[in-house]
Amino acid sequence: MSVLRPFKATDLFKFNNINLDVWTETYGLSFYLSYLSRWPDLCCVQEAPSGRMMGYVLGKAEGVSNEWHGHVTALTVAPEYRRLSLARNMMSRLELVSDDLYKGFFVDLYVRCANYVAINMYESFGYSVYRRVREYYGNLGVGKGGRDEEDAFDMRKPLSRDPQRRSVRLNGRDMIVSAHDVS
Amino acid sequence: MSSAFDRQVRPIYDALDSGSNKPAIIACTKLLKKYPKSTLLMALKALGLVRLQKVEESMMLCDEVLATKTTDDSTLSIMTHVLRGLGRFTDMIAMFDDAFKRQPHNEELGAQTFFANIRTTNWKAAQQVANKMHKQFQEDRYLYWNILAVILQANDSTTPPNMRNLLYKLAHRHVLSSPTPSYLSADRFHLHLIILQELQLFDEAHTLLESEVGKAICSTSLVCNHTRRDIWRLRGLWEEEGERAQRNITERRDRNWLEFLSVLDATFSTVSSPHQQEVTEAVKSECIECISKARQFFTEIAEGDGRKDRSGFLALLELEKRSITNGLVSDQTELLTLMKRYYNTFGDKACCFEDTRPYLELPDDSLSAWTSFLESQTVSYVDVSELQRCINIRKLTRYNLPESQLSPESESTRAVEYLSDYLEGLHLGNSLPVTELQPVDDLAILAGQAFVNSWKTSGDVKYLFSAALVLEFALTKSRLSFPIRLLLVRIYRLLGASSLAIEHYRAMHVKQVQNDTLSHFILSRASTFSSAATGDLTYPTECIEASQIYISNTQETAEFITRAFSAEKYTQIPDFMTFEDRLENSLQRDLVKVEHVRMRISHEHLEPNLIDSELVELKFVFDRVHHDNRDFEILPNYQPRSQPSYNEQTLLFGSSPSYGWLGLFLKVYIRAFQQASDLDESVEEKLLVGDRPIKPSDLEKISLKERLAERKPEEYNELTSDERLFVDWATILGDWLEPYHDHTRPPPAVVLAEAAKQTEKAYPLKGHVTPPVSDSASNGHSKKEEEAPAVKKAPEAVANFFDEMTQRFKSLVESQSPPSEILHVAALTQEAFLVFTMGTLRFRSAPLVKIHKLGALVQMFNEIRTKAICVLRDMQSHLAQVSEGENTVESRKQFLDLPVSSKLDHDFVINIAKKIRESRKKTLEGAGKGMLKICSTYEHA
Repeated sequence: MSVLRPFKATDLFKFNNINLDVWTETYGLSFYLSYLSRWPDLCCVQEAPSGRMMGYVLGKAEGVSNEWHGHVTALTVAPEYRRLSLARNMMSRLELVSDDLYKGFFVDLYVRCANYVAINMYESFGYSVYRRVREYYGNLGVGKGGRDEEDAFDMRKPLSRDPQRRSVRLNGRDMIVSAHDVS
Repeated sequence: MSSAFDRQVRPIYDALDSGSNKPAIIACTKLLKKYPKSTLLMALKALGLVRLQKVEESMMLCDEVLATKTTDDSTLSIMTHVLRGLGRFTDMIAMFDDAFKRQPHNEELGAQTFFANIRTTNWKAAQQVANKMHKQFQEDRYLYWNILAVILQANDSTTPPNMRNLLYKLAHRHVLSSPTPSYLSADRFHLHLIILQELQLFDEAHTLLESEVGKAICSTSLVCNHTRRDIWRLRGLWEEEGERAQRNITERRDRNWLEFLSVLDATFSTVSSPHQQEVTEAVKSECIECISKARQFFTEIAEGDGRKDRSGFLALLELEKRSITNGLVSDQTELLTLMKRYYNTFGDKACCFEDTRPYLELPDDSLSAWTSFLESQTVSYVDVSELQRCINIRKLTRYNLPESQLSPESESTRAVEYLSDYLEGLHLGNSLPVTELQPVDDLAILAGQAFVNSWKTSGDVKYLFSAALVLEFALTKSRLSFPIRLLLVRIYRLLGASSLAIEHYRAMHVKQVQNDTLSHFILSRASTFSSAATGDLTYPTECIEASQIYISNTQETAEFITRAFSAEKYTQIPDFMTFEDRLENSLQRDLVKVEHVRMRISHEHLEPNLIDSELVELKFVFDRVHHDNRDFEILPNYQPRSQPSYNEQTLLFGSSPSYGWLGLFLKVYIRAFQQASDLDESVEEKLLVGDRPIKPSDLEKISLKERLAERKPEEYNELTSDERLFVDWATILGDWLEPYHDHTRPPPAVVLAEAAKQTEKAYPLKGHVTPPVSDSASNGHSKKEEEAPAVKKAPEAVANFFDEMTQRFKSLVESQSPPSEILHVAALTQEAFLVFTMGTLRFRSAPLVKIHKLGALVQMFNEIRTKAICVLRDMQSHLAQVSEGENTVESRKQFLDLPVSSKLDHDFVINIAKKIRESRKKTLEGAGKGMLKICSTYEHA
């Protein structure tokens, strides 16, 4: 039982139970406000009936011509609400809007190569690895997971405008690019 | 401008961008010699200056640029930053207004004029600008800017209620006049919908929403669909909405709880409508039929989804609960069956307890059946699922524990049992990386909370120590658990182990906007623990850091309101404005401000600069209408429902400072600073730059003096009894001293002349003509025509306060009360001494006392001061004694006898004991040393 609703600026006053988490970054005001002032329909919240926030997604639309796509910037669910399909619901909402409203060709996201749980989850949603980006999370340095910790997989899922599935490929894990090629 | 000029200016922009303000100013000065008329250079220099707080110099340049009435884009854009920094929003409007009049074809200037008006809530002027722009540039978006400005005006609290409807009608006319339909964008469409909703033009709304394009918008836009749902409800179309929701649930597999609520609302619409008179039997039986249909529908969904989604199951629970509430079902058997089924299906999910909590308040017979069901469950720790079931059973059982089973001893026994569960399940997280949370954490939290409950009912501190031990142990296994840290922060503040509280708080890495909602955990009444008087700036620094977010808000948020206009994201604009307002006028912001002032006066020298600047700031704060954004929900609460929540139980001194507390402390300090300051209202007016904050209209009617004297019972309720003593004492002191201050304060002309001398001579104050200062005055103290008020004997309460506090203090020390309570009394006594010192500062000047014949008054001051210092010294020696007793082998050994200690490692227990004892010792010592320092500073004042 979770309410799906738009992310509002005032949610920044109540997202502590989600953001006091080592993997969820808390950004400056301008980060959230710039997303909300441009792509409010790609930002939404899952909320318990009590009003407690359970998780949220922040996304944007970017790229040119057949690279025009929806992008998942942040997807997070508070620990106590994990394994309840919240991420799946939020992702399908973002895909719906990227497809119907923004007319994007695909949706993409970045994930740490060491984060098997997340990668499996995205694969079950229909995403596949498009390329490996070297040192994408370079700021933390090489951690316990070695290179996998700081490299990212760029994962993609084609939308209805790409019936030929041109935005994905089979051997994505072997396609290696450096961080400055993608940003 | 030439490209050579551009090349020379570029580095200045870069320097300003990177915060190198000084080099930027130097570069500007140099270039201005070559291009003395360049408004851009002047503006850039003014920006650098304002960022370095050189307000007067910046003002000069700023006025010069404004006088040129320039229309240069780059200059104007820099000037927006300068004027914002100086708080001169009215000038900003005038600047753009002028520029737009001179260049009516310049769209950007029009937009800036519009934004400047929006910024200052000048809705009417904004509408006129938008209107003009719409005519001039023929762009539909300016029509919508106009429409939103009209709606914002209608919703403004200062707009009379009868105007609201007229304004919405005006907005509606504008929408209809648009050459393109509103459905071209979801945001325009939404604006159209809320106008129709407000005016109850349901037919028009229906046509819009039932059109193909309307339906398409609602399917992708959550916010439009939300408004659609509201309109449907307003129209009473419950059943249609319910059917639509059913289709969404089945055909589109939508699992948004809002859809389930629509089905539930439809089911009960005939019996629960607020306008319904008597519910007839016929209606009832009809509703019972609807319920059985809904039950069938939800059962199908629940069975189809299985463990994948819990919405169907919970909808069944909610259906049953509403049936009971509406008197349509008499027994709870079905509800109980559903709850058991829910537990069996989702008992291994962490959210099980929270999901079922609304249904747990059962009548006695059902409750005992439910409790025995829970008791019959076998608990095991073989895997994480089983462990989670165990946690849920403990939480569910605990929630309904009756008072009779909650004695301190039984809670303590229970806590030890929770700890045993915890230790048994711990192995399940052995292989997790250190960044992960342990699945057993909640059992440690349960143990901690049960101990806190024992402490609360018995007052025995050993239970608090036990809670700290359990939670500290859990933290060694789950290093990143913020709930555990927050529970510890609360406990350590109660225990007076302030450095440990700070340590845990900092380890959570609270950032950005979280400071506003979370800093209360560490900064509420923080001056109690601060040893700022010794030069230890831990807490003052924390105050400053926690307040950075308010500066960011002032500098950044407005920009996004204008961006949302440019991008036509109208749905966001009212939210952004609310957000900006709630941060700007945040209660926590000013509670921190007051704590900072309380610490600041203890470690900085009490001199005019401090007094004047705090006076001005606090007066601004006093006019604010505050919002409470603090997050208390973040603390987990697993206390039985018959008990207060963990949050309530662990508030320092049993209460949380709020609006009333803030109001009273502001009144005390504004009055104290007013008396000590030479700035009266007229002087302040001349010396201040920038616009005044807009005052709420009801404040205009009462004078500041009256407002400062007001004492409301609801304000007093938020104070501790010691704080009440302090506030009353300060009031009596202020009443006594006021006539002497008023008589001896130098006249405004003299103060202004002094201020003009202080600011560099090159920058005369706005509108100020230096008056000739007569030679007859000695050291600026002139004798007034009328006689000085006769010296009145000091009210007894002024001196008695210090005796009273000594007694309070000693009884707390003797009864071995927790250090936090002892410190509370000591800190307030010290604070009173500082307020007294500030109030008597003016009379340190021998010539002043001589001219006004106030020698007898000064004599009384000396007596009070001597007494206060004596009291403070005495308190210090006691604090030193208490702190000596803290960290002894004996006091550490006490920890080994705690209820939990046999379960935990001996060294671990001793180590935590040492930490807690040391931290308390340090806090007590620091407070005492601070007192000594203050005594010696002001002894001969």
